[in-house]
Amino acid sequence: MSDTRTLDAKGQLLTNDGVPLKESLRKSLRRTKIRSFLLLLAPLLFLLIMFVGPIGSLLSRSVDDMEINRVLPETFAQYELWEDKSILPSEEMFAAVVNDIRATHKLEDSEGNNIGKNLLGKAGTRMTYEYSGWRSLLLKTVKSATKVNKRSKEEVKPYTWEAPYKEKMIKRDKRWGKVEFWQSLGAMKDPYTIGYYLNAVDLRFDANKNVIQKPEHLKIYKTIWMRTLQVSLMVTIFCLILAYPVSYLLATLPMRTSNLLMICVLMPFWTSLLVRIVAWMIMLQQNGVVNDTLVGILPCFEGMVNLPFFGEKNIDLCFSDEDRIPMMYNFTGTIIVMTQVLLPFMILPIYSVMRGIPPSYMKAAQNLGATPTRAFVRVYMPQSIPGIGAGCILVFIVAIGYYITPELVGGKDGLMIGNFVAREMQKTLNWGLAAAMGAILLAAVLILYWAYDRLIGIDNLKMG
Amino acid sequence: MKFPSYTTPREKLWFYFYRTFCGLVLFFLVAPLIVVIPLSFTNSVFLQFVPEMKIFSFDTWSFNFDGYGIRWYKELLGICSDNTGTTVCTDRWMIGIKNSALIAVFATFFASVLGTLAALGLSNRHMPFNRLIMALMISPMIVPLIITAAGMFFFFAKLNLVSTLPGLIIAHTILGIPFVVITVTASLAGFDNNLLRAGATLGGSPLRNFFKIQAPLIAPGVISGALFAFITSFDEVVIVLFVGGPEQYTLPRQMWSGIRNEISPTILAAATILVVFSILLLTTLEMLRRRAEKIRGITPQ
Amino acid sequence: MKNVITKTLVASAISTAMLAGAAQAAVTMVSWGGGYSASQQKAYIDTYSSGEVNLISYNGGLGEVRAQVESGNVVWDIVDVLPSQARTGCDEGLFEELDRSIFLPAPDGTPMDEDTMVDVPNDCVVPQIWWSYVPFHKADTFSGEQPSTIQDFFDVEKFPGKRGIHTWANAIVEMALYADGVAIPDIYDVLSTQEGQDRAFAKLDTIKDHVVFWSSGAKPLDLINSGEVSMSLAYNGRIGGAVLNDGADYVTVWDGQVLEEEWLVLMNGAPNRAAALHFLVHASSSQAQADQAKWINYGPMRLAALPIMEAGEPWFNTGVNILEHMPNTEEHMKGGILADPDWWADNGQAVNDRYAAWMAQ
Repeated sequence: MSDTRTLDAKGQLLTNDGVPLKESLRKSLRRTKIRSFLLLLAPLLFLLIMFVGPIGSLLSRSVDDMEINRVLPETFAQYELWEDKSILPSEEMFAAVVNDIRATHKLEDSEGNNIGKNLLGKAGTRMTYEYSGWRSLLLKTVKSATKVNKRSKEEVKPYTWEAPYKEKMIKRDKRWGKVEFWQSLGAMKDPYTIGYYLNAVDLRFDANKNVIQKPEHLKIYKTIWMRTLQVSLMVTIFCLILAYPVSYLLATLPMRTSNLLMICVLMPFWTSLLVRIVAWMIMLQQNGVVNDTLVGILPCFEGMVNLPFFGEKNIDLCFSDEDRIPMMYNFTGTIIVMTQVLLPFMILPIYSVMRGIPPSYMKAAQNLGATPTRAFVRVYMPQSIPGIGAGCILVFIVAIGYYITPELVGGKDGLMIGNFVAREMQKTLNWGLAAAMGAILLAAVLILYWAYDRLIGIDNLKMG
Repeated sequence: MKFPSYTTPREKLWFYFYRTFCGLVLFFLVAPLIVVIPLSFTNSVFLQFVPEMKIFSFDTWSFNFDGYGIRWYKELLGICSDNTGTTVCTDRWMIGIKNSALIAVFATFFASVLGTLAALGLSNRHMPFNRLIMALMISPMIVPLIITAAGMFFFFAKLNLVSTLPGLIIAHTILGIPFVVITVTASLAGFDNNLLRAGATLGGSPLRNFFKIQAPLIAPGVISGALFAFITSFDEVVIVLFVGGPEQYTLPRQMWSGIRNEISPTILAAATILVVFSILLLTTLEMLRRRAEKIRGITPQ
Repeated sequence: MKNVITKTLVASAISTAMLAGAAQAAVTMVSWGGGYSASQQKAYIDTYSSGEVNLISYNGGLGEVRAQVESGNVVWDIVDVLPSQARTGCDEGLFEELDRSIFLPAPDGTPMDEDTMVDVPNDCVVPQIWWSYVPFHKADTFSGEQPSTIQDFFDVEKFPGKRGIHTWANAIVEMALYADGVAIPDIYDVLSTQEGQDRAFAKLDTIKDHVVFWSSGAKPLDLINSGEVSMSLAYNGRIGGAVLNDGADYVTVWDGQVLEEEWLVLMNGAPNRAAALHFLVHASSSQAQADQAKWINYGPMRLAALPIMEAGEPWFNTGVNILEHMPNTEEHMKGGILADPDWWADNGQAVNDRYAAWMAQ
């Protein structure tokens, strides 16, 4: 060997081409790095633009309060000067509102179309999120503060309203005399706000931008967050209880039998989620298979019985139509359906870990005098923990962001945070709030994801 | 069941209890899917077993199949028998199936290509940020769909991709990539890099080496990843609800609105077809797995 | 980066053309689906000869509308909207303000804007229908005394069984106050106060344990049919559809019905603006409004449609009289509450949040 080795002057190892081996290896390593990078380029860019981009744009909405600041700059400037916020502000602030309305009202876009009216409309929508009634108050005042020619839609001067405005405005709508409206401006005065995040956890700003609790009857999200956690935890626990014994069975049976049984696990995994929801509707609804079966097969006994100690009692052991259990469109329904839907996500990782545990360990433990139970608990279970961890985190991550299942079977008390994100997105149009709730949810999921990566390693994720 | 002679009755009892429990769990997994099938052949308009559907009567001691028919399958195909004043007969189910298949095929193709490229790139251990990029590649599977959908709703609007098929294809491609990355990475894990070196020594170009040596070995991984991507796209409804316009009927969307709005047994007919479809896919996958094991020389115990 | 976006766009443009075929020339009208869309198809679109109109369904809400207008990528032309959305959408510039002079006057010459049952709220809206939230039950559910007032809906002692109500607050809080003894004209004044809202929710609490929630129009019929609830609120057209077309034996209790407006609007930046306007003129004519009542029992928004229907009775397509099934006849309006969309635009968020909290508890 040593005679074929070539050394250079410094005693470095050389390759056949006369380049130092170290250098050559480094080069080849760099080449493979570049090749890998080129391979990665397309998928990475695609994902960054089309996946990370959208999520970023969602998150940016959760703190963005620019638009309202564009409409009411002078008002917010005056707000800073308003000293005692428990009494009505002075004339300057009333005038600032009118000035802001007039200035915004004439705004045009680059093509000369008036956009001011619409900006005021949007401002009204935004302000109503902070305090009910702002919308009509603002728009009513817009009508009085500005004057528009009905035909040409152009602004007419002079304005009917002249300074001072305070009395006129309160006369126009007495709500201008309510200090609560003015106080609510405080929450909107900054172009970037954490107000939406506060809202998402039932908090809000008071007039001085201190964080306070929302009034009791408007508290809703804390319940929903707790419910989301509760559902996810319960589903994870139920999945674990059901999955562990089955995984053990699958792992200890001969391969051929277990592959056959595996089909039972994989079939729901491969069947559309909506199909499974329909299937459960048929099973669990009031006139569903489960209730029909209970009514049909449970023994029916009704009548007077003479019991020892209790004496004559009227016993009704019938499971009749009135006793049908509501299992759909409520919390129970959500739990049952989600458990079935997510069960394969628990079975598969536990199974794949259990397959790798040599059965001889259990035998050895028993040979050393342990009872089968003791051997199982002390020897087998600790080795299966990685699978349990993987399964639990996976099921929990998937469960916490569920939307479809609660929406279709959740009814009144089975709804989760995902449903409220959708509600704000599509119905109430408070997109900032939707984004804030989404961001909190995302943060929770990413922390779990990171934990998963740390504990198990995402490259160990296996499918099927 | 034969027990060794030293088994105690308690152990026997435990054994039967344990097996029954496992049986019930498996039953819990599969039973609802089985129940859908007979009910899809109902003749009534209700999503429940009505008395007419009792096939055996103990009173007359005879069979009776009058409650059954293929009415809802006809409806699924757009052949409506009872076009009353309140219903517009639609071929939306068929359009939905077509759209779903179209989107799924394109999305699967793109996801397979991009996912395989990513997995090949990530297989290099010396790649910087290897772990981080891997985490990013898999994240579409982890991030709640409702968040992805909401983000795309805003972002795609700017790119004129909302309410278009390409928009849905792009979205579903993203959802499919993690599956391909995972399965291809798994099949690369068992890959012996010396094979490529041997190929190079024998004068093969890198490209030729890839197609002759690496490709056949990772093919089962690519295909099973592609199947996952396909079924994910074919089943997906959240993104479709947000990013697709109302005119983009897909099969899951049609089922969604069927469950929410127009509850009719047509959804059962569609469900039955999907159950059969998933059984077919599963069989394909199982065969692929066996083939892959055979190639690698692993035989079932 | 830019290059990739361009490429993606080019690729998507090519595939759009490939997949969707030629560019869309027909007017796209978005509505609610079901029997309601069917009536629009038959009364407006099938009778329209000057162009093609493509009717599609949506789930309501201004989310998609706002996203389309904000991104400048408008694909819809006409949208069928709820009253509060007609107002906020117009304020925010999502819908176009229309030249009112193009619309057809009533046969007697009254301009359209004076021929509607309420004042036209803004220049964006085109008259559509009146519909209502209303309680109903099966004819054979209760023996003896039958429910006849809204109090009966809130009285689970007298009329046992569960109640089906919807998952948002509109109409149900008004009904609760009315059932609690507030006179109809005072309802919104009372609701504007904290105590008034507390009172409405206290009334709702009395049926809390007997409530099954629904969120889509077909569900209440399902709940009633399966016997899950004994009485339910529903859209009056859904009940009417089942009664008039399928001969269902439902009884509608008109007392306490909450009537809502429905408007058509033109998207700001609609791709087929001219054709859509032309169609809107046709769809808002007195005759078209009357024709719609041949297919569904929602009341026409235009006053002039009523005499046409009256003269043509039996007007419904199956040969029955339709006027007695309409929500806005004099008889049915006696206990009818006209919803106040402006109030809802102001207070909807807060009241709906409270309602959601109430549901979740």
